[in-house]
Amino acid sequence: MNIIELTNVSKVFGTVVAVNKLSLEVPKGSIYGFIGPNGSGKTTTIRMIMKIMYPDAGKLLVHGQETKFERLKNVGYLPEDRGLYKKMKIGELLKFHGELNEGTDLPRLIDYWLERLELKAYKDKKVETLSKGMRQKLQFIATILHQPELIILDEPFSGLDPVNSEMMRDIILELQQKGATIIFSTHDMAMAERMCDYIFMIYEGKKVLDGTLDNIQDQYGLDTLRIQSDLGTEALKDLKGIDNVNDFGKLQEIRLEEGVDPQKILAELLKKTRISKFEITKPSLNDIFIRIASPERKEAANA
Amino acid sequence: MHKIWTLFKREYRAAVKTKSFIISLVLVPIMMGGGFAAMIIMENNKDTDDKHFVVIDHSGLMTVPLKEALEKRNSEEIFHTNTGEKTDAAYVVEFAEFDSQDPEGQRLALSERVETQELHAIIEIGPDIMYPAGENKEAYLKYYSQHSFNDQIRYWFQSVVNNKLRELRAAELNLDETQAENLLWWINVEGMGLVTVDKKTGEQQDAEKTNELQTFLVPYVLLILMFMLVMMSAIPQLVAVMEEKNEKIAEVLLGTITPFQFMMGKVLGGIGVSLTTAAIYVGAGVFTLNYMGMESLIPVEVLPWFFIYTVLFILMVGSGMASLGATCNDNKDAQSLTFPGILPAIIPMFLIAPVIADPTGPLATTMSLIPPFTPTVMVMRMASSVTIPMWQPVLGLIGVILFTIFTVWIGARIFRTAILIQGQKPTFATLYKYAFKG
Repeated sequence: MNIIELTNVSKVFGTVVAVNKLSLEVPKGSIYGFIGPNGSGKTTTIRMIMKIMYPDAGKLLVHGQETKFERLKNVGYLPEDRGLYKKMKIGELLKFHGELNEGTDLPRLIDYWLERLELKAYKDKKVETLSKGMRQKLQFIATILHQPELIILDEPFSGLDPVNSEMMRDIILELQQKGATIIFSTHDMAMAERMCDYIFMIYEGKKVLDGTLDNIQDQYGLDTLRIQSDLGTEALKDLKGIDNVNDFGKLQEIRLEEGVDPQKILAELLKKTRISKFEITKPSLNDIFIRIASPERKEAANA
Repeated sequence: MHKIWTLFKREYRAAVKTKSFIISLVLVPIMMGGGFAAMIIMENNKDTDDKHFVVIDHSGLMTVPLKEALEKRNSEEIFHTNTGEKTDAAYVVEFAEFDSQDPEGQRLALSERVETQELHAIIEIGPDIMYPAGENKEAYLKYYSQHSFNDQIRYWFQSVVNNKLRELRAAELNLDETQAENLLWWINVEGMGLVTVDKKTGEQQDAEKTNELQTFLVPYVLLILMFMLVMMSAIPQLVAVMEEKNEKIAEVLLGTITPFQFMMGKVLGGIGVSLTTAAIYVGAGVFTLNYMGMESLIPVEVLPWFFIYTVLFILMVGSGMASLGATCNDNKDAQSLTFPGILPAIIPMFLIAPVIADPTGPLATTMSLIPPFTPTVMVMRMASSVTIPMWQPVLGLIGVILFTIFTVWIGARIFRTAILIQGQKPTFATLYKYAFKG
């Protein structure tokens, strides 16, 4: 069953088409990752789902219903541009957001989440006394406090250190296990690969990828080689059949041109140097993202 | 409704818990009453140093009476009756001969003595002061001083001279004291209210005397209070909304509440703050007037109208200001939009004098039926001593309700569109677009 369905949804700002005939289905209980370069239409799509903006065309159903002006019930929303009342105390602020979202059992849940995200000591302090990372955790608590069944997070990990990122990731996965559906946008491809059941990529307002990670990677096939050799990038010079090289220092990731046999590449390399690693693999999400959104591709598409 | 209530509670608490609210609650009446207090303090701290004058009496009629009056004043009237303490300045007068050879030189020399503060003033009494009829230029009483317009001492000399003149004229006509008194008695018109019937007992009520306090002070105080409440709660909505937009609080809330609920929660919070303030001020005013035995000044029948009109006025102006705040990106935008936003509150301030002078006149009646001005002007008219036809406040109320619904609707449409738009300058064209095209 789908919790969200978009059919040919478009949004135009003046002469700019922010979202162009977008169709998307988000199954209940899944984690759906929204990826795409800055300004591609992710936030506009999320705002339309949240009814903060209205589509100019197309159909948008949430829980199978098309409501235009009413706010969605039982939804937690963490926008990309986040703001909190700085003069409020942390406990009061959470109570305010919990009441606004018609949450129950709020005093217990406030204490539980403050403890879990290591903010308990700040409960009676004002928001303005918190660091940026702490405020982000606080805003995350305000988003999930009322135990929503649909959670929409716009770039939830930006600005967090690795420890807090992992903490938040664990909580998101836990909420999914309890039945929540989670949509989040991110620029962290590794996080998207590890967490998402489905990934959707939007580029210049249009959907360019949609499906599970395996499905997406299958579209590109086994066209990627990861190589470790004594000569490093030197070994790859003048090698034919290579579309692109990503140099990671001790390891090089090569994208092959279409139809090139990896065994031939291996044979050529062995003539030049000693190989300590040679892996034939599918492209990473990061690589797929760059292939779609890189300036070279844009130039090629415009040519 | 639950969400508006939740936002209302937050806004209300955030406002009344601040130090600035408590300070303004105390300071505003102090500032308003400051003028009266200053007058009382000035009255109690009079300058008691002797004041020196030079009188040039061309008529020769006033020298003796002035000397007698001065003698009486300086020996009796400037001392406290019980303590004998000196409470006012003694007037020391030097009677100078008129210099007919060089009159201008004499006036200049005396003026220089005033400038050096050796003298307080110079008084010149015209030669024909007994017979001013026919615009006689020689009948004058001149008072030369540095601040003659504000100098209240001149009225003491005026009083002594005129009383003596009346006495002399009566004597010239061979009138006795009673005849002279009747001749000069000025009958004042007494302002009366209307004879009414008590609704409860059915008995006829005598007309009551109107007084200046009731005529001027009550409408004035109610207008100032309403103006102050609007300035306290409705006007700050513009900056508050702009800040919440710029600090990205708005988008967080808009995921949960509609723009209309957002705007209404804020405006109703402002109304709550205003009603709290009004209740405190009105309560304190009623208590004080009762304590002072001046309960007749309490406009009991007008107070419910005052509260209804105040609530609607704040709703009207507040929703307008909140929607304008949503269109602002910075303080410069906010400054440029504040003035047009507060015009409905400011314009009636210029109408105080004509409305109070003639509450049933065409200007007062017309202005009180134009919705943005109805709350203030109608309350001023109702609080005055005249009775205005009942259909007028009722019609005014209907107009204000309809206009308030319109401003809230327009405000919500502007607010909804503008609250997430950054970098767009608020012009009349963009406001029109947001309001009517979305």
